[in-house]
Amino acid sequence: MTRPGNAPSGAAPDVMVGGFVLLLGVLALWQTSTIPASPIYAQVGPKAVPYVVGAGLLALGAALLATALRGGWSHTLEEVQEAPPTNWRALGLLLAGLATNLVLIGPFGFSAAATVQFVLVAAAFGSRRLLRDLALALVLTLVVWFGFVQVLGVNIGAGLLEGLVLRALGLDAIE
Amino acid sequence: MSSRRSLLAAVTGLAAAALAGDAGAQQRLASLYMFIPAGPGGGWDGLGRAIEQVARQAGLVGTFQFENVGGAGGSVGLPRFVGQRRGRPDALMVTGSIMVGATLTNRTPVGMKDLTPVARLTEEAGVVVVPASSDIKDLAGLLAALKANPGGVSVGGGSAGGTDHITLGLILKSLGRSAKDGSYVAFAGGGPAQAAILGAQVKAGISGLSEFAEQIKSGRMRALATTGQERTDPAIPTLTESGTDVVMTNWRGVFAPPGIRPDARDKLVALMTELHALPAWTELLKTRDWTDAFLTGEAFTAFLAEDVAKTEAVLKEIGLA
Amino acid sequence: MMDSIAGLQLGFSHALTLTNLGWALLGCFLGTAVGVLPGIGPALTIALLLPITFKVEATGAFILFCGVFYGAMYGGSTTSILLNTPGESGSIITALEGAKMARNGRAGPALATAAIGSFVAGTIGTLGISFLGPVVVDLALQLGPAEYFSLMLLCFVTVSAVLGGSALRGLTSLFLGLLLGLVGIDLQTGQPRMTLGVPELLDGVNVVLVAVALFAVGETLFMAWRHTSAAPVVRPVGGIVMSRSDWKRSFWPWIRGSLLGFPFGVMPAGGTEMPTMLSYYAERKLVKPEHAGEFGTTGAIEGVAGPEAANNAAAAGILVPMLTLGLPTSATAAIMLSAFQSYGINPGPLLFEQQGALVWTLIASLYVANIMLVVLNLPLVGLWARILKIPQPQLYAGILVFATIGTYGISNSVTDLVLLYVIGIIGMFMRRFDFPTAPVVIGMILGPMAEQAMRQALTISEGNWLTFVERPVSLAILALAVAALVGPRLWAAVRRRASA
Repeated sequence: MTRPGNAPSGAAPDVMVGGFVLLLGVLALWQTSTIPASPIYAQVGPKAVPYVVGAGLLALGAALLATALRGGWSHTLEEVQEAPPTNWRALGLLLAGLATNLVLIGPFGFSAAATVQFVLVAAAFGSRRLLRDLALALVLTLVVWFGFVQVLGVNIGAGLLEGLVLRALGLDAIE
Repeated sequence: MSSRRSLLAAVTGLAAAALAGDAGAQQRLASLYMFIPAGPGGGWDGLGRAIEQVARQAGLVGTFQFENVGGAGGSVGLPRFVGQRRGRPDALMVTGSIMVGATLTNRTPVGMKDLTPVARLTEEAGVVVVPASSDIKDLAGLLAALKANPGGVSVGGGSAGGTDHITLGLILKSLGRSAKDGSYVAFAGGGPAQAAILGAQVKAGISGLSEFAEQIKSGRMRALATTGQERTDPAIPTLTESGTDVVMTNWRGVFAPPGIRPDARDKLVALMTELHALPAWTELLKTRDWTDAFLTGEAFTAFLAEDVAKTEAVLKEIGLA
Repeated sequence: MMDSIAGLQLGFSHALTLTNLGWALLGCFLGTAVGVLPGIGPALTIALLLPITFKVEATGAFILFCGVFYGAMYGGSTTSILLNTPGESGSIITALEGAKMARNGRAGPALATAAIGSFVAGTIGTLGISFLGPVVVDLALQLGPAEYFSLMLLCFVTVSAVLGGSALRGLTSLFLGLLLGLVGIDLQTGQPRMTLGVPELLDGVNVVLVAVALFAVGETLFMAWRHTSAAPVVRPVGGIVMSRSDWKRSFWPWIRGSLLGFPFGVMPAGGTEMPTMLSYYAERKLVKPEHAGEFGTTGAIEGVAGPEAANNAAAAGILVPMLTLGLPTSATAAIMLSAFQSYGINPGPLLFEQQGALVWTLIASLYVANIMLVVLNLPLVGLWARILKIPQPQLYAGILVFATIGTYGISNSVTDLVLLYVIGIIGMFMRRFDFPTAPVVIGMILGPMAEQAMRQALTISEGNWLTFVERPVSLAILALAVAALVGPRLWAAVRRRASA
């Protein structure tokens, strides 16, 4: 672990973090410059605090970048040193679960989208009993949905699954 | 036992069944989404909940769902309502003249033109108050202080560019001062503004009469003048009576989202017309001290256009738009 | 004082009927349920229950509402501790130490100290309502924007307690929070800020959403990133009951948290968040040296007991300006006020005189609800703690479903879900690079409040910055903030010199 090339390669991710914070600072300052000046408040306008926050982010980003270029900090963390390699399968499945939920929740409703999400996330963490997860997810999401809509009266539109259950119960869909 | 049962019904959301039992009127809508672009406790919120109270009692609407999104005279809530409820036939937003001013002052991309007017319901005079502990005893005293040093007299009220703010601008103008000289402190809703006036954090306050009525009655605030054409409260003079030529009222009404079908709009107008005709509504207006200002259809649309034009002119004149 | 006791007697005689006890029980149950759900709070629940005011007489309805209100405060801590998913903004701080305790097999004591702390705080707060109400409100009204700004500066100082190992990374987190807090339309001028032209961002970013994203979604993503199928992590449930030492360590934090929380609740712009932060800071500074190492590592019980008590006492305090002046200082109070109005009762300074029986029954029912809640919740601690026995795949999947419904259920907005997941991904990287997440949430809560208070104060003072030091209360708070900032460092320097 004393190879000379080790330090820079360990710091490369840290450089990206510093860069990201710098970028946030630039973004904040750019957004602030687009705030129209208001004629009403002569004392402290709507731009003052955003400028301070933007400048602060720039300074912090620069400091992080400087630390990263001097060798970084994250490779010294115990957690990172001992960490197992990136589990692309698990991470990929989980992100896929989130993405599917976003795509499905509009057209098919909460229960359908959340069921798919549940199964994918469980699979990401190594569950192999697909059918059991599916059954569990269906029950859980439907119970949660009915809890929200019927008990609390929150207006979440009935989707595919909710509609089926409502029809099975002989009730009209809420919408 | 019966009240237990009806609670259970309400709680489990099967309210429709329970309500049908005790109300004779025909149900117009199974559910209605009420959007209040202000924090709870203010004037719009009060009107929205009053509509709920009367409409539910009469069985006109099955269930109500409320959402409050406050801030910047409705500028925060308006885009949300327009964006999320577009085309939905079962949604109403409570709003009024404050939003007209706020959208103009803030030059928001979404404006009153993006809404579907349904009905104007009430109109309310504003009131100029000072804390009970203030050494300002009457309107003349306040006007003298404002004339001498407008910046030194901080005035609390609703959001920037709203009716309260415009009223202050007009008063300053009538004194030969510019609206920009004033120290106007914007608060998010009725509660925080009231607290600041009661605690004498600001020198004076301007808001709707109903919001301050209880505090005035109990003697914690002193009312100097109302802003209507005529006296609302017989004990409080109007600004015009006191020689200041300023009339500014705050109307409130309901709007539907953009893009709804004409028949859906007609249904909502019919609902509000029916509601307005109820004795319970008349009774409620009386207990709340609201002035009836019912207007729908083309007449309301025309009034709105005129109000927007008038407000814009006023705001430009006092340097806010 | 005598009036209060006579009033309470009257109140209890009304509250202790079978029907009214039933209402209280129902309210407590509903409140606990909604407190557990992220996103749904007591305000929304009471608003949804408002229609019953047309069917039920006033006393029953208000007892129900009070049960919901207190119940939600109890329930909010449960998911914070077990799943690191705060149910409402007042329990975000509870999650800091509570979730760490749960992870280290101390879920039972954490839940128990939260429940008993809530009871202690609820009782102290309710006593405050009964005997101190009008006096405290008049004092609280003396606080203006200048004082609020100073108070928020004091809270900013307390952030140092959660900055973690590196000040640089801690401050970066704080500034990220400040940036998120700026998103939306500016209250004072109505100008849109940091919205990138996205209309959905005009109304800002919800702080509970960010807390759930960083704490729960980010954590889940990080676990997946480093997931190994070799050795599944078994979370120990551990003992359920509080040990003698737990009781001893919790007692003073409960009392301090309650005494801190109540006045903040009474303040018109106080809220429940600030006292939880101050309480956390105080407990971290006051903890016995032998337990100091538990803060931020294995979870210190003081860090759960204090903030949870502060949260509940503040919630009780919120009722004071509502009952004595008719001032709605929180969403829940505002909705209760509108319930008064639908009974034709005008809440205002004369409420106590005109509706004495009702108000005292309401206060008495707060005591009743408080006792019911602790009796209901303590036996549930064991049951709740078993949630941790759920196998990892299903537990994480369940947490994500929970976070999703909480976010989507309120707004019906896919944009909010995108925000939840994107901030979750940022949270994952923050975890990887050792950035603390709590300062983000604290910056988001305090930043906008501090900015508005500062600008209101400066408008009132005609741009005179000295207003913050010329007003005595503001000056005193600022002095306290300076002392909290440099005091420990000075003390350390003095000791070093003494030992040298």
